[in-house]
Amino acid sequence: MLALSDVNTYYDNSHILHDVSLQVKSGETVALLGRNGVGKTTTMRTIMGLTPARRGRIRFKDKDIERWKPYQIARAGIGFVPEERWIFPTLTVHQNLLIGLKSEPYASNQGLEPWSLEKCYDTFPSLKKRQFAKGGTLSGGEQQMLTIARTLVGNPELILIDEPTEGLAPKIVDVVAEVIQTIARQGISVLLVEQKLSIALELADRIYVISKGMIQWHGTPEQLRSSEEVRKSYLEV
Amino acid sequence: MRRSRFTWLPILLIIALLLILPKLVSEYRLNLVITMMIYSIFALSYNMLFGQGGLLSFGHAAYFGFGAYATVILIKHFSLSLPMGILIGGLAGAFLGVTFGVFVVRMRGVSFALLTLAFNQLIYVTAEKWRTVTGGEDGIAFMRPNLHLGGWEIDLWATLNWYYFVLLVTVICIGCLWYLTLTPLGRLNLCMRENEERASFIGFNTYASRLLIYTLAGFFAGVAGGLAAAFQEFVTTTFINLDKATDVLMMTFIGGGGTFFGPVIGACALTLVNDLLSSWIERWAIVQGGLFILLVLYAPNGLSGIYLSLREQWDKRKRGEQPS
Repeated sequence: MLALSDVNTYYDNSHILHDVSLQVKSGETVALLGRNGVGKTTTMRTIMGLTPARRGRIRFKDKDIERWKPYQIARAGIGFVPEERWIFPTLTVHQNLLIGLKSEPYASNQGLEPWSLEKCYDTFPSLKKRQFAKGGTLSGGEQQMLTIARTLVGNPELILIDEPTEGLAPKIVDVVAEVIQTIARQGISVLLVEQKLSIALELADRIYVISKGMIQWHGTPEQLRSSEEVRKSYLEV
Repeated sequence: MRRSRFTWLPILLIIALLLILPKLVSEYRLNLVITMMIYSIFALSYNMLFGQGGLLSFGHAAYFGFGAYATVILIKHFSLSLPMGILIGGLAGAFLGVTFGVFVVRMRGVSFALLTLAFNQLIYVTAEKWRTVTGGEDGIAFMRPNLHLGGWEIDLWATLNWYYFVLLVTVICIGCLWYLTLTPLGRLNLCMRENEERASFIGFNTYASRLLIYTLAGFFAGVAGGLAAAFQEFVTTTFINLDKATDVLMMTFIGGGGTFFGPVIGACALTLVNDLLSSWIERWAIVQGGLFILLVLYAPNGLSGIYLSLREQWDKRKRGEQPS
């Protein structure tokens, strides 16, 4: 579904991503793990076209998208849930969701039940309760739910989620993890960026480990569990 | 933008008041209200960029003036009807909006402000120098044509008829501008003000959307310009000069860009203040400037902002909380 090959990204003159290659297959949940500041978020921004790659290819459903604009990539079927939970604080919860609705079926979601507003409210009952509240008045967990819900009503085929549990209370972390599992069960492919090893091990089908802008290792959660060396050198602080 | 507590009642009351106003006030005052209505359309069109879009333009007079010239020239030389002339004034404003918009909507902040200013001066200088078409600083005078409706001929030279004509156009324009804020495009405008990148990765072509909004703002400014020219039966370079460009900014700011009707309040307030002051003192612009400075310093959300914060305090007091 998504394949990055030898992607290089720069912020001005500083070289952030070095020949990053990774794949997300259809229906798969893939985690990208690494410490702070190793290029995880940059990888997502590069896929989304927000910080375009200078070299390398990004293929999504047999199309080269590395030169596309963010809105074209979003319409092609990639949804992005950024770490900063970029909701619109002066709009209500309901208006925030309306913004995410696509007026035309951009992504043909083969054989899947589309995400409607009703379905989102069923999945996130706390949003329904607060649908007329301004986005800025929500708690961190609710804002995270809102960002995910807003992305889902756009009916993406692949969803990029950047550190969804960052700064949330442990109880809320479990809820978010459950939501991600629900999304994955619906057949949506997920690329998840995480710092918390336990969450990645629990949710992912495959894991990539990134350090200093380079993919250092990839494998299954079981392999990572048994490979203390990888964990020690790239993940644990 | 607040709309949760929006009710139709005050709107209907104001429209009813405007309908019976000619019975209540002198012709002089009626002309003042006509000026207020025309500037209300102009300020509301400006607020699509300023309040809703977060773009500070110093060149909105270009569309007002361009619309005014288009209306006058077409009515004078091609004997168009007044509604058609004003519609074409709007279309001329939209045409100029899309032409300049291609360049300016790429910009943000200071670059946007300066580029709109430069385009405004470009149109101003053209109007000043191209004397064969625009009459230069002398401008063009023309007669407001009568309105033909089926077999009826309505004398628009009469203040009363002209007042109702402007009222009708104003209500239609404000209705359209209000409706626009409810459409996805209107909501997107707010989103882009808050964060353009967010809007783009949700799947919106922000460049095209901004261009469309800029064009629509040009359209309504052009309509206001056409009305203003028909009101004065005259158009000259003062329709495009920098004073006009800053007037609309002041009106919007004074009324408050954060609410839909703020610019209307600002347009009315500034028109009224100018009228009162100019009958009292000769250097009225100094007082006007002083008032503006006070508002910028102490009420950055304008008159409607003062009203909203007073109401919030009132609500809190009613609920028995401490006012903040």
